[in-house]
Amino acid sequence: MIDSDSVKNLAGHPFDRRDFLKVLGWGGAAAALSGCGNTSIEDGKETVVSYVEAKDYVIPGVAVYFNSTCAQCDAGCSITGKIREGRVLKLEGNPESPINKGRLCGLGQAAVQHHYNPDRVREPLLRNGDKGEAISWEKAYALINEKLAGVKGEEIALVSGDVSGHQKVLLGNYMDSLGSKNHFVYEAVSPAVVRAANLKFYGVEMPRYRIDKAKVVLSFGADFLGTWVSPVHFAQQYAAFRKGVDGQRGVLIQAESKMTLTGANADRWLAVRPGTEGILALGIINALGVATGDVAELVKDYDKVRVSRETGVEPSNIDKIAAILKLRSPSLVLVGSAAEGYQHGLQNAAAINLLNQVLGNVGKTIEAPVSVPFPQMAPAKGKTAALKDLNDDLAAGKYKVLFNVATNPVFTAPASYKFRDNMAKAGFKVAFAHYLDETALQADLVLPLDSEMEDWGTHVPEYLADTVQINIQQPLMERLHANTRGFGDILLALVKQRRAEEYKAFDDYYGYLRSAVLQNKAALGGAGSDDDTFWNDTLSNGIVKLSGASGALSLKVDVSGLKLPTPKEIDEQYPMNLIPAVTSNLRDGRHTNQPWIQESPDPLTTIVWDSWVEMHPKMALQLGIVEGDIVKVTSKTGSVSAQVYLFPGIHPDAVSIPIGRGHDAMGRYAKGYGVNPFEIMDAVFESATGELAMHETRVNITKTGQRVIVVKDEGPAGGRQMGRKIAARMSTDQVDLSKEV
Amino acid sequence: MSVTNLLDNWAAVRHFHPIDDKPHDPYKWAMAIDLDACIGCNACAVACYAENNLPVVGREKFKHGQVMHWMRIERYWDEDGRDYPDQGFQFLPMMCQQCEAAPCETVCPVGATNHTQDGLNSQIYNRCIGSRYCSANCPFKVRYFNWYDYPTTENVWPAEMNYQLNPDVTVRGKGVMEKCTFCVQRLRAAEVTAKGEGRIVREGEVQTACQQSCPTGAISFGNLVDPESRVHKQWQAQQVDLDKDMQEKNQKEGGSDLRGYRILEELRSYPSVMYLERVRESAV
Repeated sequence: MIDSDSVKNLAGHPFDRRDFLKVLGWGGAAAALSGCGNTSIEDGKETVVSYVEAKDYVIPGVAVYFNSTCAQCDAGCSITGKIREGRVLKLEGNPESPINKGRLCGLGQAAVQHHYNPDRVREPLLRNGDKGEAISWEKAYALINEKLAGVKGEEIALVSGDVSGHQKVLLGNYMDSLGSKNHFVYEAVSPAVVRAANLKFYGVEMPRYRIDKAKVVLSFGADFLGTWVSPVHFAQQYAAFRKGVDGQRGVLIQAESKMTLTGANADRWLAVRPGTEGILALGIINALGVATGDVAELVKDYDKVRVSRETGVEPSNIDKIAAILKLRSPSLVLVGSAAEGYQHGLQNAAAINLLNQVLGNVGKTIEAPVSVPFPQMAPAKGKTAALKDLNDDLAAGKYKVLFNVATNPVFTAPASYKFRDNMAKAGFKVAFAHYLDETALQADLVLPLDSEMEDWGTHVPEYLADTVQINIQQPLMERLHANTRGFGDILLALVKQRRAEEYKAFDDYYGYLRSAVLQNKAALGGAGSDDDTFWNDTLSNGIVKLSGASGALSLKVDVSGLKLPTPKEIDEQYPMNLIPAVTSNLRDGRHTNQPWIQESPDPLTTIVWDSWVEMHPKMALQLGIVEGDIVKVTSKTGSVSAQVYLFPGIHPDAVSIPIGRGHDAMGRYAKGYGVNPFEIMDAVFESATGELAMHETRVNITKTGQRVIVVKDEGPAGGRQMGRKIAARMSTDQVDLSKEV
Repeated sequence: MSVTNLLDNWAAVRHFHPIDDKPHDPYKWAMAIDLDACIGCNACAVACYAENNLPVVGREKFKHGQVMHWMRIERYWDEDGRDYPDQGFQFLPMMCQQCEAAPCETVCPVGATNHTQDGLNSQIYNRCIGSRYCSANCPFKVRYFNWYDYPTTENVWPAEMNYQLNPDVTVRGKGVMEKCTFCVQRLRAAEVTAKGEGRIVREGEVQTACQQSCPTGAISFGNLVDPESRVHKQWQAQQVDLDKDMQEKNQKEGGSDLRGYRILEELRSYPSVMYLERVRESAV
C-alpha cells in the first residue's frame, strides 16, 4: 500500500531538494527533471497489488505476457514472460529491445529454473552452531540493527556483483547512511583489464563495437558469441556481418590459445602460444607496413620470423591476415579475456587496440557509447581486484560487519586467498542469497532473496546497443515462497533503520520505484501523460528508452609505455599453461544449479554434468593419455583431478578446465559435479590494474591410472562425419550468395 | 497385417505426401536452417526443453544414451589430419526432419506415428506401445524413448519445478516414444485461430520455440506451400524440391553454387528441413 497523502506531504517537506533527488536516484542528473516532485497522484489511497492476481484479462488456458529484464548475466536483455494461470512458463526475448531484439540465449531461458528451483533459500536463517535456524524478518532486521550499533563506518564492508539502477542507488544510500565507503564490486569473470586499456586508448571503458559494419573481424580471444559483454546482441551483429556489407560476407579471424565458441565459428582460427597475443598484434602491424612514426618504431623489430617463433603462428598466416585487413576495410579488432589474463594483460590489450588505430577503424567500427544521463544509476562494474582488496582487509581483521549480496567469493576466490578463513574474521556476516552456496554457508545471517521473476527493479546495462535504456524488472508472478523478499525491499527496510525520515513515504520498494520513475517522468519521455498512464506504459514496455548524447572517442595514441615481455621459458616443473575456460552456459558458476544448464552440452566438447581437462591430442599422445583418463592437474597452489577430453582446438602447451562446476554446496543439481579450477589458480596479478591474471597459472599433468567413460553428447564417431554429407561446408569461391533470400 | 499383404499393397501402406489426390493444402510446414549463421550456442535446445516439457535425465542416464533432447547441436571437425581445426568447427542443429516418406511411420505396428495433413510426422503418445521400431528405423536418430517414468518415479520435476511445465504439451510417461513436433501445439493454436477468421496462417504468425530464441536468426520456419513465406522463397532460391531424392542442380557438371541441401536425401525419406551449407572464406 502506498499512501498518496504521504507522498504529497513529501513535496512540502523541509528536505533539501537535492537530497530528495539523491534519495530517488536522479542526483547529478544530466537530463532534465520535471518541475517538482510527485504532484499528480490522485487523492485517496491507492492499492498496490500484484498484477497476476486474477484480473479480467486472465482467461484460463490463455497466456498473458509481461515484459521484464533478464538477470542471468549483466548484458541486460529484455524478456517477455509467458504467464498462464498465474505461473510463468517460458521466457522469450522482447523484440522492442535494441540489445536482444526478441532473442534469448540458453542461459536466459534457464532463468525459470532459477525461479522454481527446489533448493532456494526460503526463510531468513540465523546461524546456530552448524545449523541455520529460521527466524522472522523482524528479528533479522532487528539483529542487523543491533550488530551495527556502535560499529564505525570503516568497519563495515559490502560485496556485491555488478549492480545498477535504483538498486544501486539504494545500496549506495544505505552504505552512505552507515558511513561506509567499503562497497566492493566483484565479478569473478569481468573484462576489467580490457576496460582499463580502452579507457587509456579510446577515452571510454567500453566503446560501441560494430561487428555488423566490419568486413573483417580479428578477435584476440574475445568470445563475443558466447560469453563476452553482450553475447546475444553481438550474435545478431554477427548474423548481419556474415550476410555482409555490400554483399561481401564478413570474415572472422580468431586468435587464442584455447578455442572458444567464437573461435569455433571463425574462418581462420589461430592457435597462439599463451600470452603472446600482443606480440602477434604488433607482428600484424609490422606486416601491414602502413604505420608511421612511433608506431612504426615500436613494431620494427616484430618481423614475421620472430613473431612466428614467439607466437607459434605461421608466417604465411600473418601475411594472409595482413593482406585481407588491408584489402577489406573497415575491419574491427577485438580484445578479450584470453589476452587480458596475464601479468602483462594491459600491455597485450594496448598492443591489440593499436591495430584498430593503424587500420583506421576508430570511428568506423568502433564508436563512442551513449552516456547515461543519470550517474547514480549507471552500472557499478565488477573487478577481480576488488576481491583481492576485500580479502586483504578481511585478513587484517578490518571489518566487524560484512554484507554479501548474492556473490560467491568462497567459490570463486583462488585457493591461496584463503577467503573462507579470512571471511570468518569478520564479526557478523550477512548474506543476501538465493541458494545456500559456499559463501552463504559461511554467513551468520542469510536473507532469502526473491527470484528475478518476483522482484522489482531497474537496470542500466553497461553495453548499450543503441540509445540509453533503463530496463524495468517486474514480477512475472506472485512470490512462490512467503518469506523471501525483494532485494530492493530489504535495502529499503535497512536504509529506513538509518534514515527513517527520508524514506518514510515509501512502504515498499515498489512504491519507491514508482515514485522515482514518476518524479522524473518528463525526462523519461512521459511529459504530458498522466502518472498512471505513464507508469502502466513503462511496465508494459519493460524498457524506458532515452536519447543519450554520444560524443566522439578521444583517441590517444601513446606507445611510449608499451612493452611486451618475451615469452617465458618453459618451466620444467610446471610445463603447461592452465586456461580456466569461461563457457557460455556456466559462466562463473552461479547458475550451475539449474538443471537445463547442467544438461546442456558444452558446445565445443559436448560434455555434460562434469568437468574435464582439455588437452591437445598431440600432447596427450606424448604423455600417453587417452580420452577419459583421470589426470591430476597440479599447480604451485594445489591440485585437482578430472577426466581428460582430447580436443584439437587448444595449443599443445596449454590445458583447459572450465569454470563453474565443482560446487560443494548450492543445491542438488550443482553439488558434487566436477572440479573447481579456482582451487589451483595461482595468485598472480595483472601488473598495471591489479586484476587476477587468470591465465598465468602453470601446471603439470600426472596420470592417476583411473579411467572413466566421458559423458558427452557426441557419438562414437567423435567429431567425424564418416564421409557423409551431414554438416556441409563450401568456400566463398565456390558459392554464389547473391541469389539468396 | 501380414507381410504378404504389406508387400502387395506397399504403395497404399507407405505414407507419402503430397500425392496427387492429397496435396498439401493449405499447409506444409517446413524449415530452413542456415549453417553459416548457426553459432552452435544451444539456445534452441534449451528453448525446446522449456517449451516441450523435456525431462532432464541426469548424468547416469545421459551416459547410457537416454538423454531426451529433441533438438541437439551436432559438432564436427575436419578429418584431414591437420594439427588444429583451423577453420573452426561445424555445428548442425538436428531434430526430427519431418520426412514426407518417413521410415519411422511404416514400421510402427500400431500406427502411433503417422503423417498429418499439414505435413508433420506426428506421434500419438497414447497409442504408442514402445516397440521402438521407429527409432531403430530413423536415419537421423532423433526419436527419444521414455525408459523411465520421469514425472513420477524419477521425480525430474520436484516441487516447484513442475510449475514450469507447459500445459499445452503432454508430460510423457514411461514406455512411449517422443520427438520434435515442430511445436505442433503452437501450429494448432495458430491454425485454429486462422480458421476461425476464415483465412490461413500468415507468414510470421507462428514460430517454433527454437526459431524464436535463435540469437542469429539461423532458423526459418513456415508454410512451404505459401508463396509469400520465407521458407518457400528459400527452398525455391536454393532449388531444393521436396519430392525429389536427387536435386537437379546437383546433377550439373561441376556441382551447384547454391548452398541448400537435405541430409541423407538419397535415402528417399524426403525430409522437410533444408540446411544451407556453412561458408568459409577462401582468402584466409
